[in-house]
Amino acid sequence: MTHGAHEAVTTSARPSAYGLAAFRGGLHLRKLAAGAVLPLLVILLWQLAGTGGSLFGGVLPTPDRVASAWYTWAFGNRGMGMNPYSGSWFDSVVFSTTRVLQGFAVALLVGIPTGIMIGWNRLVAGAVDPALQMLRPIPITAWLPFAIAVFGISSIGAVFLIALGVFYPVVINTTQGARHVERNLVRAAQMMGASRLDILLRVVIPASLPSIFTGVRIGLGTGWTAVIVAEMIAVKSGLGYVLWDAYYLGRMDVVIADMATIGIMGLLSDQLILMIERYALSWRLVNSNR
Amino acid sequence: MARIEISSLAKVYPGPKPVNALDHVSLDVAEGEFIALLGPSGCGKSTLLNILAGFESKTEGEVRFDGQPVGKAGPDRGVVFQEAALFPWLTVFDNVTFGPRMQGVAKPVYEKIAHDMLALVGLRDFAHAYPSQLSGGMRQRVGIARVLVMKPRALLMDEPFGALDAQTRLSMQELLLEVWQRLKTTVVFVTHDIDEAVLLADRVCIMSARPARIARQINIDLPRPRSIDDLTTPAFIRYKAEIMQVMRDAHPAKAIAAE
Repeated sequence: MTHGAHEAVTTSARPSAYGLAAFRGGLHLRKLAAGAVLPLLVILLWQLAGTGGSLFGGVLPTPDRVASAWYTWAFGNRGMGMNPYSGSWFDSVVFSTTRVLQGFAVALLVGIPTGIMIGWNRLVAGAVDPALQMLRPIPITAWLPFAIAVFGISSIGAVFLIALGVFYPVVINTTQGARHVERNLVRAAQMMGASRLDILLRVVIPASLPSIFTGVRIGLGTGWTAVIVAEMIAVKSGLGYVLWDAYYLGRMDVVIADMATIGIMGLLSDQLILMIERYALSWRLVNSNR
Repeated sequence: MARIEISSLAKVYPGPKPVNALDHVSLDVAEGEFIALLGPSGCGKSTLLNILAGFESKTEGEVRFDGQPVGKAGPDRGVVFQEAALFPWLTVFDNVTFGPRMQGVAKPVYEKIAHDMLALVGLRDFAHAYPSQLSGGMRQRVGIARVLVMKPRALLMDEPFGALDAQTRLSMQELLLEVWQRLKTTVVFVTHDIDEAVLLADRVCIMSARPARIARQINIDLPRPRSIDDLTTPAFIRYKAEIMQVMRDAHPAKAIAAE
């Protein structure tokens, strides 16, 4: 049988894939270079605007001061001289990252199954959704006194806040995904003899994955916000703690180095999730490569 | 093989303005018969198919499949959807073996049948491709193959080639003729394309406008095996003219749109 012969097939474009990849690599570098222009320009202007290492009458340090403070924070000797942050950068990064990971894990473990059930089962939706919608408008910052009262000044309070902040976007997007599974996909599975559980595991969950990843990526941003807020008030370690502490000590150079660190961590973790998403949804990427 | 008996089937969609989709339709389909339900979009022919498939409930009347009232959807009635409705996260092979896997068929058994069916629809080399890598026609071949592996007693096809371009549609019609010639499964085929109905079916049932009734049934006595060369024979054209006349009477405004 030769029916496939006269139909266009995307895979037939494969031989040129390597050339295409190389082209994309070049494009990627150029994009990166283009993206670096604006930040570098701002840093340059900021440097030139300062006199004697600062702007606005000593309030804002120039980039070179920030860089040197950052260097000491990262590589300086611990407990030497007058700098309380010397050599503690890696510890702070590890503290904050660990809390984000812990809160994230709790949020995904609870949020994804909850969202799937709300989206898939009307009874669960009726029982759980109204309560969620009532709690959701309470910002995570408003939960801070509650967290401190219940968990004390501890890491658990911070993890609780992060988990809460990640939970909402994850549960809402997962619900959307599970609720809007294409009707004919479910019908096709029924027609092929799939049980309700089979449909849940083999149709609803994979069909919801793109929405789940959307929720996870939004949640990651909330997670970093939550860890900084929590550490500023409810814990005595991590990037958020250093941020607030350095402000009180008038070390704006450390404050800015800390802000930059948070930005970099947020960017890296988002890229990591994007990589996982690309792997998990490779069936969809095949499509967008057309 | 199957025998479908539909008697006085009615369907009303409830609501503030209830919609009468089917108005006491009666229809018998013999074992191994290929029947086409012909009518313009929105006339209720898909509703009829969905009730047969077990996707929708009926309001009144009776639908029997091999003497038994039809229940929920199952592998005995294989459905081919308009947009194929493949699982995009599964490869062609995993899509085709989904049914047997759900039914607990042993792996060596279903692997062999799946390879046979993929060969039958001309997709032997695409077992490991994802649906997004295939053209619309190829996707629909997978949609047909995944139903055939279950050895259904009836094939229910809901405008399966409606979304394809003319060239691809012809090759799919020829493929279906070949497959049906070999397997002789009972087929209920919903379409709004007169050529398609006459080319494929033993009998064409022309549906009236909503609420749908069967306005007229016409036996197509063209010899088998048929091919797309039949499309231009005088006998074919006579059937087509007769059906167009019936459609014009049944759907005064829509007859031209349907063609």
